[in-house]
Amino acid sequence: MNCEGVSRNLSLFLYGELSIEEEQEFQDHIEACAECREAFEQEKAIHDLLERREKLPPPALLARCRRDLSLRLQGAEPARARWREWFRMPRFWPGLLRPAGALALVALGFFGARWTTPPAAIAPQPDSTIEPVLSRIRYVQPEASGRVQLVVEEVRQRLVSGAPGDENVRRLLLAAARDSADPGLRAESMELLKTPRPDEDLRQTLVYAIGHDPNPGVRLKAIEALKSYAAAPDVRAALSQALLQDDNPGVRAQAIDLLVQSRPEDSVIGLLQELIQKDQNTYVRLRCQRALQELNASIGTF
Amino acid sequence: MVEVPQDAASAMEEDAVAVVDETALIKAAQRGDQEAFERLVRAYDRGVLRLAMNLLRSTEDAYDVYQETFLRVFKNLNLFRFDCAFQTWLYRIATNLCLDFLRRRRVRREEPETVEMPDGAHSRMDNLHEDRAQGDPQRALMSRQLRERIESVLGQLTARERMVFELRHYQGMRLRAIGEVLGTSEEAAKTCLFRATQKMRTALGDFL
Repeated sequence: MNCEGVSRNLSLFLYGELSIEEEQEFQDHIEACAECREAFEQEKAIHDLLERREKLPPPALLARCRRDLSLRLQGAEPARARWREWFRMPRFWPGLLRPAGALALVALGFFGARWTTPPAAIAPQPDSTIEPVLSRIRYVQPEASGRVQLVVEEVRQRLVSGAPGDENVRRLLLAAARDSADPGLRAESMELLKTPRPDEDLRQTLVYAIGHDPNPGVRLKAIEALKSYAAAPDVRAALSQALLQDDNPGVRAQAIDLLVQSRPEDSVIGLLQELIQKDQNTYVRLRCQRALQELNASIGTF
Repeated sequence: MVEVPQDAASAMEEDAVAVVDETALIKAAQRGDQEAFERLVRAYDRGVLRLAMNLLRSTEDAYDVYQETFLRVFKNLNLFRFDCAFQTWLYRIATNLCLDFLRRRRVRREEPETVEMPDGAHSRMDNLHEDRAQGDPQRALMSRQLRERIESVLGQLTARERMVFELRHYQGMRLRAIGEVLGTSEEAAKTCLFRATQKMRTALGDFL
């Protein structure tokens, strides 16, 4: 591969889109050619810059999308399976059987209606305790038959009780930790969800909270809940970010505690050395100093 | 030796497990299992929402694409015959919807992508995930400028280049699958990606 080929394949190499042979040729070339090596380093740096762009959609928007989809699905019908379509095809039915079947269905409906009580327009939830306090129309769809389908959104209150580990309770707590407008509720939910091995959903919620929750108490709670997971790369990245960017010294100090809990990587030591010089808070600077002493690392960056 | 950041073996192992689970989930959802359908949605909906948000730069349009994508998936799941990956099928629906939105917007000349604020023009996406006041104002400024530059150069890409770039860079989709999603060849997807990254390189060079 020559210089032009390398230049054309810089991104493809980083995305792992080259064949094994092409990859080998690419590597051989940049090891030998300083100019291409520099271009490659630049390309890598640009990839890193692009990584700084937000990756996750805002949790509140995702929650709204999920909730509304769930409501809409109640009024939607999936496409029929093919075998059912086949049964509907006229060739399968002898000519007279269809009208006779239709007549039988009409009769069944007519007599059935006389023997059964009509259902309520909207069936009440068995465990709802309070009448709807808010209702609005979310979706209207006219049907070919002339009828109309509406999705009515109603806010009801109902009592749900169970152990924090029960699937349903856990799901609700997770939603509260992520989307509730009340910081007290978010912190309380995190406390209840705390477990030695958080699953993927919980971990993502907590990591997101460290970087984005506007309330420092909640951010502290999220860090605390991730204590046993301090070695995971995404948790460490969130903690390092908090150390650099969080405006609350308590959060920064707690991030230090977790980062040095297990043997920290060189970049964390560098970060601590940098903070000793730059952090505006005395306690944070002292905490950095103590951590570096415990790690037998030098205090200055020289 | 240059490092390739991938643990291929474990990724393949995880993929195999995921494929088995996913097939079972799809079949259950095709039989009408609502919970299975919900799990399928949750496996992919973050990616779909993010794709729509980044391509359309409007939370409301992204919301609409999300709803319409999964409603179509729900209504047509029985017609899915496993002749391509479920993700490819799903993203084909989502990307077509995004392209429709972009086309309609071109016709309607919708709102600009920036809003005027007392301290200058801001990207509409900024208020979606604005950072908190940060300790280092210079760093915050740099990060805002960078984000604006990224959004601006993404805005200059053609719809197809942007789609390929989003799917490859942020969704981690292989070029072959991207070709399938967009109804084009792997080679054409590769060319789009090349053009997109070249434009990125030019626009972001001075941040290095």
